[in-house]
Amino acid sequence: MQLTLEHIDLTLKGKKILDDVGFEVADGQFVSILGESGAGKSTTLKIIAGILPQDSGRVLFDGVCVDDIPTHKRNTATVFQDIRLFLHMDVQQNIAFPLKMRKASRAERTETTDRMLDAVQLKGMGNRRPSELSGGQQQRVALARALAAHPRALLLDEPFSGLDEQLRAEMRQLVSQLHQEFSMTSLMVTHDPDEALVMSDRIIHMNDGCVIQHGTPAELLLHPASPLVRAAFNDSSSIEGTVAQGQFTSGKLTVPAPEIPDGSAVLVRVPDREPFVHPLS
Amino acid sequence: MSSSLSQNTSRPELLARKRRLRRRQAFTRTLIGIELALVLVPLGIIVLWALTNAWPWPNLLPQDLSLRGVEQVFSGRQNMGASMLLLSIGIALACAVITTAVAALACRALCLYRWHGRNAFQFAALLPFIIPSTVFAMGVQVVFLQVGLARTVPGVILAHCIVALPYAMIIMTDITSAAGTQREEAAKTLGAGPLQMIWHITIPQLLPGIISSLSMCYIMSFSQYFLTLLVGGGKVQTFVLVLFPYLSGGDRTIACAYSTVFLLITFAVFFIFELLLRRFGVREEESLYG
Repeated sequence: MQLTLEHIDLTLKGKKILDDVGFEVADGQFVSILGESGAGKSTTLKIIAGILPQDSGRVLFDGVCVDDIPTHKRNTATVFQDIRLFLHMDVQQNIAFPLKMRKASRAERTETTDRMLDAVQLKGMGNRRPSELSGGQQQRVALARALAAHPRALLLDEPFSGLDEQLRAEMRQLVSQLHQEFSMTSLMVTHDPDEALVMSDRIIHMNDGCVIQHGTPAELLLHPASPLVRAAFNDSSSIEGTVAQGQFTSGKLTVPAPEIPDGSAVLVRVPDREPFVHPLS
Repeated sequence: MSSSLSQNTSRPELLARKRRLRRRQAFTRTLIGIELALVLVPLGIIVLWALTNAWPWPNLLPQDLSLRGVEQVFSGRQNMGASMLLLSIGIALACAVITTAVAALACRALCLYRWHGRNAFQFAALLPFIIPSTVFAMGVQVVFLQVGLARTVPGVILAHCIVALPYAMIIMTDITSAAGTQREEAAKTLGAGPLQMIWHITIPQLLPGIISSLSMCYIMSFSQYFLTLLVGGGKVQTFVLVLFPYLSGGDRTIACAYSTVFLLITFAVFFIFELLLRRFGVREEESLYG
């Protein structure tokens, strides 16, 4: 599904939250919204899901305005930072919830639930209660529940920020893989630059309710349109990847790496310096 | 006791600790025993009295057992038939359901939304707490007479609801705040319509509070004497109204026989509430909002 936002404005309690926000997410793409907290990222997701109505502007799914369609008919499943599993249901019932709401047959519900449990590597956990699962497992159930809804767009609101570093890496990989497998349009809010760089086809950088830059990960990293975007990547980090024919690749991030021999390498970011690729051997 | 701890602690010290622990357990058990006795002994005495004709002081046990009380209860004499019982249960259930529904909605407005006059509204809802129920009964009777609600069953139910509301509000406030709207939001994005959301998410989330509130309001209404007498004007006869003369009149045998029935009915209703809770599968959950 192609997702379009046009001139979205929102003021809450006299404070401008979103100011002329507009962007487009092409069908099947994975797009990240990157920015500091309070930049209006999560609010943008809420407007797309229809949880919050905008003051002006339009939201379009495949070119059709959905402003008058209530949340439950928009079919944009959301994975939340605080997980929000239904605690009075077991894992199976949680995953089957969107299907039950749609009055799917019991057979279809069981079949889909099993498939989703398999997809998020939680086979055999169907009868557990959410409280019996670890944080990472809970978030995988939330992901399975969202996927079971066969959403037109998958919205991810800082889905990994409650998890420790090891789990985050696993979950990133799982989400990227499932995004591909289910060929969905996905939009993820994050404040982690590495996450955005590696997972996204395109990154939207937001600050103070405005879209500052919208481009490929390499464009934002190497050619920031404003000091604000540069500042977003102005921390220390290293991303592992591989170099082939003068190109460094890690996940969906591709940057030129001339004069670096083919093989493993890291992309290093150090404050106040241009990012550079360093061979590992 | 962990192994690392026992390595660092000498044996006599360990034994002393164990003794202290045992003493503390004995203390706790004694307290629990006293508490149980305080509840169970009076209940036992009521049941015993129901089967007794005379129990003169200073005898420890009743002297003369009789089935007079039981016969009276089952004879249905003096308006004490099944219809009166059903009316009392009906009034109490109606009061429980209406009050809990009102409290749940009011708490939702109070806990989850910010609006002008919120604090005033909250204070107003808790007012019946502050006013003694006799004073309240006098006032409400005058108003009910004017609007034609006095001496009617709906009038009695309404009066009971007003008295029970603050209790229901207090029970529902915390659980409504704790539940929040996050999971409802999640349900909506997963395709749940408004009614589906209420049935599958909102009510199960609030269910422990709803059951407590239903039980509380039920017992408040079922045991309400003065208010029922005044508003019902003698025309609406509930169980307590008929029971009361026996209590004050001194026929303990019959009073206790009726009290036993009162207890059994209350337990039965609470048992049904409990089954309701199990049906939604909430009870097994240790922490509902972990």
